[in-house]
Amino acid sequence: MSTKPLELDVRPILAGGSDPFAEIMEAVAALAPGQDLRIVAPFRPAPLIQVLGSKGFTHVEESLGGGAWAMTFSRVADSGARADTAGADADPWPEPARQLDNRDLDPPEPMVRILAATEEMAAGEVLSALLPREPSFLLPELAKRGHAWRGAMTEDGKAYRLLVRVGAGREMRT
Amino acid sequence: MAGVTLSRWTMSYFAAALVALVAAEVLMATGFGYPAAALRGAETLLVVHLVAIGWLSLLMLGALFQFVPVLVAKPLHSDRVAGAVLLGLLAGLSALAAGFLHLAGVVTVDLPFFPAAAALLGVSFALAIFTLGRTLETAVSPGLPVRFVTVGLISLAATVMFGIIFAGVLGGGVEATLFLEIAAAGVPVHAVTGLGGWLTFTAMGVSYRLFAMFMLAPELDRASSRWVHRLGAAALGVTVVGGGAAAAAGASLTGVLAAAGIPGLAALVLYGFDVVHLYRGRLRRNMELNSRMAICALASLAAAVTLSLVTVVLGVFEEHVGAIVFLVAFGWLTGLGLAKLYKIVAFLTWLECYGPVLGKTATPRVQDLADERRAWPWFVAFFMSSWLGTAALLLSSASMFRVATAALAIATVGIVVQFVRARRLIDVTNDLRFPPGARRPRLFLSISH
Repeated sequence: MSTKPLELDVRPILAGGSDPFAEIMEAVAALAPGQDLRIVAPFRPAPLIQVLGSKGFTHVEESLGGGAWAMTFSRVADSGARADTAGADADPWPEPARQLDNRDLDPPEPMVRILAATEEMAAGEVLSALLPREPSFLLPELAKRGHAWRGAMTEDGKAYRLLVRVGAGREMRT
Repeated sequence: MAGVTLSRWTMSYFAAALVALVAAEVLMATGFGYPAAALRGAETLLVVHLVAIGWLSLLMLGALFQFVPVLVAKPLHSDRVAGAVLLGLLAGLSALAAGFLHLAGVVTVDLPFFPAAAALLGVSFALAIFTLGRTLETAVSPGLPVRFVTVGLISLAATVMFGIIFAGVLGGGVEATLFLEIAAAGVPVHAVTGLGGWLTFTAMGVSYRLFAMFMLAPELDRASSRWVHRLGAAALGVTVVGGGAAAAAGASLTGVLAAAGIPGLAALVLYGFDVVHLYRGRLRRNMELNSRMAICALASLAAAVTLSLVTVVLGVFEEHVGAIVFLVAFGWLTGLGLAKLYKIVAFLTWLECYGPVLGKTATPRVQDLADERRAWPWFVAFFMSSWLGTAALLLSSASMFRVATAALAIATVGIVVQFVRARRLIDVTNDLRFPPGARRPRLFLSISH
């Protein structure tokens, strides 16, 4: 792995009174294949280890003194069976073939439209959608239909951005 | 797997809860319990627990087993526990009812009803709290509703602990002076933590998210809502710790309840502002029936708060506490519960039936499962009857109360029929009802996968 780790220091975010989770998830989504994520936090971020662990990451931790920690997360090469955000994370995804803005739709209309769009798209194509919140009931349905997905709240925390790669999760199903 | 699937047991909880609600209303209509009997008499206690455990707690738990996973975007810690909890609670409630009937002289068989009730209800509620607590714990960034539900569950634990002490004393097995003191004086603490902490505080927390979802309003996490949480939690903390200590010491509870009442009142007033803000900020201009009827429930809560204040100032709170509790239990909690069930039952049924075929074929919309023109008169009748019942208690008219609760029972059955229609997809047009691949929902049990 020659790629330099992506660095994210969450101390200023926490000092500003915000929750850095959305930024961390954005950083995770932005990682290049094989790239590590190095997070610096003012405490040992135990919940994060659990969350990223469930997404197929291992970590190396390093105490920086003064209570601060640096955590370097690496994606396990064969993370398929454990990944819950996406099936084919090892390959870069193509540019979205379709965009949907579902932010102002009544639930469950965002879910209906996303599922309808995935039915019309070819395998391997990517759909990008904005939603008012994390679509809890949609995610298992996408997995069940064999689609891979990645999602996170947007930087301002006002919407949820979801990428769906049609048919890409089929080989992942356990 | 991230995301949430349907909880298998939620519909079973709702069905059992609605049966208990109608049973309690019919009992009241036949003149069983207060005001015909004493406020703290065994008959009244039976009706109160049928409403508080059989109806409201089962409704709340059934909703939380589905809703908490949505809040934390993680599956429930164990769905199997939910089924066992339901059976345990129903068995415990039956034992409790038998115990009260024994006290009232209706049941003459002498069995250890109260110890059985304490054990069954204690273990079942503990299991429910454990399962929901473990699920809440997985929240990565706990939002406001998660924090409300956490306080609600702690209040439930406190309520159950007081209940177990009472059951021990009523059953005759517990004779330690400390527990006898608590049982003699602790009833208001038990009632406030149960109705106020567990049921009202949880309902408030859940309502922040439900109002935002059903009216397309922005999610609230602002200073006022955080203060509602802090002040409410402080009020409940004072009630449980101070009230418990005062009851154990044989001291008067008045000071403790007043000290808890001030932050409690402030929390409710701020909650009122938040709710007005949510309704004003909604993107959905035409409100659905569930949102319109929730206003009636919120008005009942406001009326109950006002009534409490007025009666305290006039020094007549004690004699009207029955009317206030009735308004909280029916106008507010039951009204809100039925209004939200009207939306939730249709939504869960829609997802269960059409989830697998969405996007592949034409499916009905969620609102096609409910016929609001058919449902609204029953809701209006329900709220009118609950307000009439409150007035009857304020006026100490037992006959007027029976008429009001009979109307309440009829209106409730009318609303339940709407839920069954949604579950049976009766209001969906024939050609859309069962497209190929759709799953036919069962009345009481959801297909979870």
